[in-house]
Amino acid sequence: MTSEPIVQIDGITKRFGDFAAVSGLSLSVPRGAVYGLLGPNGAGKTTTIRMLMDIILPDEGSVRLFGDERGGRQHSAEIGYLPEERGLYRKMRVRDTLVFLAETKGVKREVARRKADEWLMRLDLSEWRMKKVEELSKGMQQKVQFIATMLHEPALLILDEPFAGLDPINTQAIKDVIVHLSRAGTTIVFSTHQMDVAERICDHVCIIAAGRKVLDGPLAEVKRVHGGTHVAVAFEGGREFAAPIISDRTLVAKADDYGGYAELALADGVEPQMLLERLVAAAARLQRFEHIEPSLNRIFLDKVGAAGAEPRGREASRE
Amino acid sequence: MNKVWAVIRREFVERVRTKWFLISTILGPIFMIVVTVLPAVLAGTGGGARHIGLLDEGSGSLATRLVTQLETGSQFRVERVTTSESGARAAMQELTERVQSKNIDGFLVVPGAALESGKFEYRGRNVSSIRDNALLQAAVRQAVMMERLTQRGVDPGVVQESQARISVTTLRITKRGATGETGEATFFLAYVVGFIMYMAIFLYSVNVMRSVLEEKQTRIIEVLVSSLRPFQLLLGKVVGVGGVGLVQMGVWGVAAAALIRYRAAVFAMFKVPAEQAAAIQLPAIGTGMVVLVLVYFLLGYLLYSAMFAVVGAVVSTDTEAQQAQMPVVMLLIPGILVFPAVLNDPAGSLSSVMGLVPFWSPIIMPIRFAASDVPAGELAASLAILAVTVIGVVWVAARIYRVGILMYGKRPGIGELVRWARQS
Repeated sequence: MTSEPIVQIDGITKRFGDFAAVSGLSLSVPRGAVYGLLGPNGAGKTTTIRMLMDIILPDEGSVRLFGDERGGRQHSAEIGYLPEERGLYRKMRVRDTLVFLAETKGVKREVARRKADEWLMRLDLSEWRMKKVEELSKGMQQKVQFIATMLHEPALLILDEPFAGLDPINTQAIKDVIVHLSRAGTTIVFSTHQMDVAERICDHVCIIAAGRKVLDGPLAEVKRVHGGTHVAVAFEGGREFAAPIISDRTLVAKADDYGGYAELALADGVEPQMLLERLVAAAARLQRFEHIEPSLNRIFLDKVGAAGAEPRGREASRE
Repeated sequence: MNKVWAVIRREFVERVRTKWFLISTILGPIFMIVVTVLPAVLAGTGGGARHIGLLDEGSGSLATRLVTQLETGSQFRVERVTTSESGARAAMQELTERVQSKNIDGFLVVPGAALESGKFEYRGRNVSSIRDNALLQAAVRQAVMMERLTQRGVDPGVVQESQARISVTTLRITKRGATGETGEATFFLAYVVGFIMYMAIFLYSVNVMRSVLEEKQTRIIEVLVSSLRPFQLLLGKVVGVGGVGLVQMGVWGVAAAALIRYRAAVFAMFKVPAEQAAAIQLPAIGTGMVVLVLVYFLLGYLLYSAMFAVVGAVVSTDTEAQQAQMPVVMLLIPGILVFPAVLNDPAGSLSSVMGLVPFWSPIIMPIRFAASDVPAGELAASLAILAVTVIGVVWVAARIYRVGILMYGKRPGIGELVRWARQS
């Protein structure tokens, strides 16, 4: 049983009118993974997650959760869901809100109460538990919502853009909880368009664009398969000596200048050593020269390209 | 089922906790007491103490009769000032000053030729009290009539007889015979029942709309529908809010029953004299009436809350909701507009037809039932039509709701709503 994926999506398609938000998407999430669903705005991430959650039905294809096709709502006790758009009842007390949401997941009232108190204590919100939600700051409300997502100790967490709009302190607090839950065996699926975040947390990724899958797999494998030789270079002072070399297409296929350093994809058959020799010969003052794996961002840009990042009309804004 | 129960409890508890609920629940019985006791209290205090002058400019025996007439019934205390034609101005000036210094409330000017001309004048601080004016006029008219008859030589005994009080009491007859209720009490009951039905159905249905819209606006809806089917959520919401309505009506009902039962004690508390308290008619409310009101409230509430839930589900903002609820409100309004007509003729054809239309029957039928005998067949037909409509409307509403709660942005047109309802 353990080898069976916890989420298995086969060829799902969802159309809104003439517009296909998701077409023929397949992916599978292994048990225990931290799975990043990556894509530009309007790629179909939220639509995919909503189909996963049984909030909307796919026009074609199937979704299997925990090995069956009964849908997200039937498994709601085992799933924690944080939607992209956050919100809680404004006039309701913090603890009452948590208890109510846990009850809709089938948790008993007394148990929900005890767990709510524990989590509120853990995230420094104890003194706020009898206050109305609207009295809390936005950051505190986000934490309360995050508690609501996992109060019932789900085996699968589905988080839609969990870090959007969070300040660094709350981002850290929630990242800590995610890592903690992952170590404890919880499977985590989350969507983001921030590649650096995904690169740090995920062990599996799926990149989608324009409603279609671009690539997926374990992060290490994605990087290996992506191929090519990548080098990070940084210079002391100006880079005018190096500029002609970097723009030499026989040596460097692509260059991403991140300001502090540049990520270079070498042309076929070019060894990093050759580039280094040329740079030294040109009297460039190197600060950094490192043979690296391609960054997720590089892979994303290569695969999705500028076209995929374009918003696709009205419906795209639903995401 | 436990999930639905959680929704019901949330809707119920969160509403009962609000100040709005507390205030309106308490205000109901207070309003009832005020409405019953106030007229009696006012009659007790305002009436007897009116102190007026009577300026007699030489009308002789008419003035004597006027004083007697005004003072019977103890509504007025009369001080007679007799003056000659020449002293009239000074006397009037003096009385005016006494009115200004609040020594007396006003004075009646009786000219010497008043008996022939029938012209009198009352000058006072407060001349707008309809009741006082009516009493004054009646007394004056009666005194003049008696004086004229006496002077023409009519037997004083006959004159006396003609003065005897005349009153017409209207009593309601039902199939069970005369009820002993007066027309006034029946009218009052029917009016109040109709009004309460309208208010309760409207207010609680709008509450359902607000609740739907709130979940949509705060976006918590998405979390909820990942755990509950939309129908479960809607069901819990409607039952929870309806429960609040029933509790409130229950409190009011108990208060009304207690008021009727212990009215003597209540009147005593406000120091209303016993004979005045006895004169106040309170309607009798039977079990049939209570059951009918509850059944129609529940069905009417279900009907309108389903429609208002659709409004809440298809809009995204409060402003949009204001506009979008208009068609539903307009649907309810005719039930109020025909209020007077139905009260006038509760058994008439207009009342019968209005009582069959499901959108108005929850308001019209309790009025008719309170004011007249409703044929059992009509009642059954009205309830059957209403029940079938409720089932149909709830079915369509639930389907639109299911789609609408996850849609944001442009408000859908009728065509789109039909498509949502058909969508599987």
